[in-house]
Amino acid sequence: MPSLSYLVARLLQIIPTFLLVMIFIFLLVRLLPGDPAIAMAEAKATDAQLEQIRHNLGLDQPLPMQFLVFVKNTLTGDLGRSIMLKAPVTEVILSRLPTTIFLALYAIVLAVFLAGPLAFLAASRVNTPVDVAIRSVFQVGLSMPVFYIGLLLLTVLAAQLRWFPVGGYGKTFLANLYHLILPALSVALYTSAIILRNLRASLIEVLDADYVQFARAKGLSPRIIMTRHVLRNALVSTVTLLGLSIGNLMSGTLVTETVFAIPGVGRLMLEAIFARDYPLIQGLTLTFAVLVSVVFLLTDVVQSWLDPRLRQS
Amino acid sequence: MKRILPILLGATLGLLATTSAFAIERGGAMTFARYDDSTVIDPVYADRNPDLWMVNGLYETLLRNGPDGSIVPGLAEAHEVSADGKTITLALRGGLKFSDGSDLTGADVVFSLDRARNADLGPWAGLLGAVDKVAADGNRITVSLKNPDPTIISILATFNTGIMPKAAFEKAAGATDQEKARAFFSAGPVTSGPFVMKSHVQGSSMSFERNPNYWRQGEDGKPLPYLDRVEFLVIPDDATRILKLQAGEVDAAEFIPFARVGELGADPNLKMELFPSTRIVYAPINTREAKKDGSKNPLADIKVRQALNYATDKNVLIKLVTFDTGKPMTSLMSAATQLHYGPEALYPYDPEKAKQLLSEAGLSGGFEVKLTTLAGSADDATLFTALQQMWAPLGVNLKVEQVDNPTRGEKNRSGDFDIHTYGWANDVNDPAQVTGWLGYYKQRQAVGTGWNNQEFNTLFEASNVETDPAKRKDEYKRMQEIYAAEAPLLFLFETPFAVAVSKSIEGYVQTPLGANDFSEAWRAD
Repeated sequence: MPSLSYLVARLLQIIPTFLLVMIFIFLLVRLLPGDPAIAMAEAKATDAQLEQIRHNLGLDQPLPMQFLVFVKNTLTGDLGRSIMLKAPVTEVILSRLPTTIFLALYAIVLAVFLAGPLAFLAASRVNTPVDVAIRSVFQVGLSMPVFYIGLLLLTVLAAQLRWFPVGGYGKTFLANLYHLILPALSVALYTSAIILRNLRASLIEVLDADYVQFARAKGLSPRIIMTRHVLRNALVSTVTLLGLSIGNLMSGTLVTETVFAIPGVGRLMLEAIFARDYPLIQGLTLTFAVLVSVVFLLTDVVQSWLDPRLRQS
Repeated sequence: MKRILPILLGATLGLLATTSAFAIERGGAMTFARYDDSTVIDPVYADRNPDLWMVNGLYETLLRNGPDGSIVPGLAEAHEVSADGKTITLALRGGLKFSDGSDLTGADVVFSLDRARNADLGPWAGLLGAVDKVAADGNRITVSLKNPDPTIISILATFNTGIMPKAAFEKAAGATDQEKARAFFSAGPVTSGPFVMKSHVQGSSMSFERNPNYWRQGEDGKPLPYLDRVEFLVIPDDATRILKLQAGEVDAAEFIPFARVGELGADPNLKMELFPSTRIVYAPINTREAKKDGSKNPLADIKVRQALNYATDKNVLIKLVTFDTGKPMTSLMSAATQLHYGPEALYPYDPEKAKQLLSEAGLSGGFEVKLTTLAGSADDATLFTALQQMWAPLGVNLKVEQVDNPTRGEKNRSGDFDIHTYGWANDVNDPAQVTGWLGYYKQRQAVGTGWNNQEFNTLFEASNVETDPAKRKDEYKRMQEIYAAEAPLLFLFETPFAVAVSKSIEGYVQTPLGANDFSEAWRAD
């Protein structure tokens, strides 16, 4: 396992990342044309009413002042009030986050279980019809937009065959497994296609490596060769890829949650952007930053466990 | 035999008539798929359509909008306007109760109207700007005005004057009105309308239950509503919302894209409802002498604006965008608006006239115009392509600029556009709201066009204090004539509200103002 000092160093690296994220998102949302007052009173407010709304929201303060308030509040755990939902941002995010995390984890598990065994099968039969078939099917998954896969699954499996409900989510863990299978699948298809390609390539490379040839020559059983030598080495890059795909996964939920009517943070982010809900956009971005940082940290930990060479650097 | 037959026939017909009158079935639930969720369904704070179109389900107003657009009694059984137009007296019905069984009294009315006209609270306070004082003496309510206001009767039938329970609201936790409103609504508010809100999971679902103390009677002589429950599901994606309906998982789906109206109308299990609405689709034209970048603006010339209107084949647009569900505009306001005046469709397609007007304006050599549209909107994309082709023969080179909604709003406010797409639906059953918005310079620079017509402005100001209905009608006629001739807009079309409803549901209505009315809905299966 990685040492404690390694973990602490990695955690400390997160602090400047967060600070940068805060500055960027603060400025970026304000660079967008239009502001919350305009989005809120879209048509019907007079210019004087708009000024009043801006004043009430503190948007008439100078930018540095607004930024100081934002940083100060964030440090005390207060992300402000959502303009669109008229409720504390922390409360809103916490109520929506579990659904999205559930969906993302579900998608990852599906992706790994789809891609893993098939990658082995393809790698062990390189360039046979089996290999070609597997790769072509996943190529389709890679090239179709998530919302389109989602709508296809909905139309066929839910609306026509009635195997699954059309969108929505359940109240219990089991009900969610059932309700969210189609959205999880549509996100998973894309991720699994990436994993499959990568894992297949690394497997082929490793299976051909000197140390595997040597292990075979030593007369080790194929099973030990597979687990101790092949898998461990082939997984290093796949784990990295899985960690990096969290970004994909998050943008996947943005679309999937809208198509499947799932009240998670992905759809919330879209709505917040269209409403120019500065506090909510800021809160959500920070939440995504935390999620991504945690996933990257976990990826590093797993990698340094798989590959001891990484621990020295 | 010859005599018996008519009698038998008559008896059968009579029986049929009786059965149809009493065929309404009570009880059960209906599930309604919405495009967006409500946040706070408070009459005063409601600021988005998903909020304000739900208020009437929970809060009853003193007066109501009748099915034909006239004002009918609500919680007040009678109302009277004094001769000088400055005092409105209303008589509250006897025995009115809130959903928790407490009495609905004059004190609640005073509380609600005072809250509704408090400019520090919601965005709608201006509608009650003329009110000086609201007082109650037993069941007698007196609304005193600073100046006569012909819109006040309509405002007393508008969602923002819904009657809330004073005692229950004041008991809610919180120091400010905003905090109290939040606490009051998250606890499942006490209501005066046909329903109570049982639960609300933000962004996902909401449940309304029958208010047993609602005052209005159904056709069977018992209190409305007929349904025990209305369940709402939030499904923002159009295609998914329709799939959910086709799969039979919901009983109705709102905001059906017009492209799907034909298909759903042919579904044997569904009724495709196209409710008459006050919704208009139009495009404001920048009428300022100079564009935002300082260059000369050809659209400042009235002849150029008229030419573009003549060069636009509205019937083709109606076919392409609304799939023949829309109709051409006949005035600045929809034909369903009170005091509408528009004997014929505005600017019938006439490319020759357009060409002539442009040459009179000295622009026969052509010029460039930018149309700002909503990114991702299929309707806007169609509109742009069609207009580009219609205007090209005149030498008008139409460019497109795609932006999101708040950006479009910003461009409108700052005058940084040539022409952009826009839509509107009335919130008030009176023409003053839409007329002020589209044409009165001092309110919003005539929907951001910068059009500043003295005669129109003076007429509008006069009509807002006009107590004689006939004179007000004349003023509105004149304003609509001026506006049509001056063409600060590209007049496009009116569209209905498209809601697909299961055949087992009767009586659901979306009103011309957009409100979802479940009070007389019932299940037929």
